[in-house]
Amino acid sequence: MIILKIAFRNIFRQKRRSILTALSMFGGFFLSAFFIGFSDGSYNTIISMFTSNNLGHIQIHENTYLDKPSLYKTINNYEEVLQKLAEIKGVKSYSPRIFSAGIVSVGDKSSGARIFGVDQSKEIKTTNFDKKIIKGKVFSGEEAYEVIIGEGLSKILKAEIGEELVVISQGADGSIANDAYKITGISKSGNEIEDRVTMYLPLKVAQELLVLEGRVHEIAITVGNLNSVNKINELVSKKINSEEIEAVPWQVFAKSFYDAMQADVAGMWVMLVIIMFVVAIGVLNTVLMSVLERRREYGLLKAMGTKPKDIIKLILTEINILAFICIILGSVAGFGINLLLSKHGIAMPEPITYGGMKFQYMTSEVNLRSFLIPAVIVFVSATIVGFFPALKAAKTDPAKAMRTH
Amino acid sequence: MDQKTIISTENLVKTYKDNGMEAKAVRGISLEITSGEFTAVVGPSGSGKTTFLNLISGLDTPTKGTVMINNKLISEMKGKELSDFRRDNIGFVFQSYNLIPVLTVEENIEYIMLLQNVPKSERHERVIKILEEVGLSGLETRRPTQLSGGQQQRVAIARAMVSNPTLILADEPTANLDSEMGSELLKMMKVLNETTGMTFLFSTHDEMIMDRARRLITLKDGLVKTDEIR
Repeated sequence: MIILKIAFRNIFRQKRRSILTALSMFGGFFLSAFFIGFSDGSYNTIISMFTSNNLGHIQIHENTYLDKPSLYKTINNYEEVLQKLAEIKGVKSYSPRIFSAGIVSVGDKSSGARIFGVDQSKEIKTTNFDKKIIKGKVFSGEEAYEVIIGEGLSKILKAEIGEELVVISQGADGSIANDAYKITGISKSGNEIEDRVTMYLPLKVAQELLVLEGRVHEIAITVGNLNSVNKINELVSKKINSEEIEAVPWQVFAKSFYDAMQADVAGMWVMLVIIMFVVAIGVLNTVLMSVLERRREYGLLKAMGTKPKDIIKLILTEINILAFICIILGSVAGFGINLLLSKHGIAMPEPITYGGMKFQYMTSEVNLRSFLIPAVIVFVSATIVGFFPALKAAKTDPAKAMRTH
Repeated sequence: MDQKTIISTENLVKTYKDNGMEAKAVRGISLEITSGEFTAVVGPSGSGKTTFLNLISGLDTPTKGTVMINNKLISEMKGKELSDFRRDNIGFVFQSYNLIPVLTVEENIEYIMLLQNVPKSERHERVIKILEEVGLSGLETRRPTQLSGGQQQRVAIARAMVSNPTLILADEPTANLDSEMGSELLKMMKVLNETTGMTFLFSTHDEMIMDRARRLITLKDGLVKTDEIR
């Protein structure tokens, strides 16, 4: 108790020095909290754009489809699978899809295109499909002979709403697949490369064109909480219980994207280590000065019978009280800035392109780890660097220290 | 060593090494101090007074020879044993008062009792009593910076005595005080010595202490030059 009392009062003894030490701890905490919150927020925005707005969090395919996609590798009992998915808690939405490639033309302009067959009502729930339409409207029905094309493709084809688009592809039975569809909308996904080749057909219409009735290539699933993807993926795998089809999380089907994100996360840890180092230097400098100045006092404490471990405890308590105050203040400030940026974000001077998608705004996130990690960083770095001056103080030779004036 | 002997040193030697040069601060002191003595160790600067006191208190270890306090060979003690022995048997009074600046008068005085795990009520009782004895009643809540030099030294004396140690070691206790304050302080210590029977050992240049000491040990070049009992 007396150690705590002395430690607490010592903090207010050299106010300027304590403020300097506190500033380096507070700065370190605040920067770390902001950095983690902002990184998490930005990553989640990007992941959300990649998954919720396009790929989904989990996908179901025929077992070998991801390694080598083919028109013939289909999910043959997809209606049954959809019914099973509806029973799984945590599955937010799901959407069956068909993919193929073909040549499209409008008037005398033609281009290669990627054909997406989508169940419009389910796709809207899964990837906000309707929000991607920047001109025109969504399909008028699930069996309408209508097509929505990407913005880039519309420019290549110089196509306008209401014009007719002809598709030539290959049917699953080996026949030449071709038909004409009315352009009803132009879409923008945020990925410019994709928008130059994308065209959407209603699922049933696409199944008819490609002779894939009752079959799809993919079922995209979204979940309520991004952190529960792996858990729900396991539930889905168990539920579908099939040797022919498999469910995989986004970290697997978008591996290169996931790896790039992981590399960015590693960069964040490097930054945190640098912040830890800056905090450590700040604390070491002031604590060492303080210990040297109070050498006589430590000598006196030892002369009176205070044990070296209690002197170490005294100095570490002083540092830890200061760290605790800084963590509280830093949490308030960090919460404030992360909350503000989670609502308003930071506008990039130039849009950031990530995986072909452009990001104009980066937002922060308020989460527990953006406070816990900085708290551990500040506490641990301050304690580690404080330990060496504390050890020096504990080793003070009382006889020599008392001769110091 | 008979029953009344508190301190006994035998051929005490302390050598310091500085830049490869050896300097003998104490060259072989053998003496005995008995219980309740009011003894002054005097001598010119560099005669070995402070080193001698540090060796007796266990703050420094002898190069050769032995120190016994209360029949305990403290020159062989180390670490926790030595620090506990010092806490329970020796009270220190230093030239520069050396109070803990962030603690109040009461907290400074009770510090050693806290280390000894004396219960709170008893600590408070003893602090009040000793403050009365050193003439500082009512100043319990003051910080050292709010006291005069004389008052600070009285607090240091109270702190040294409050845990009833066997021995009070005072290194130049009046050196930073004016003669009037020094005289008052000395008078007080003499009274405490007579009433409590505690043994006082001073190192000093102060003529007043030399005059009032019952025993005067004069050191020169690390050796006892004279040892006079009055």
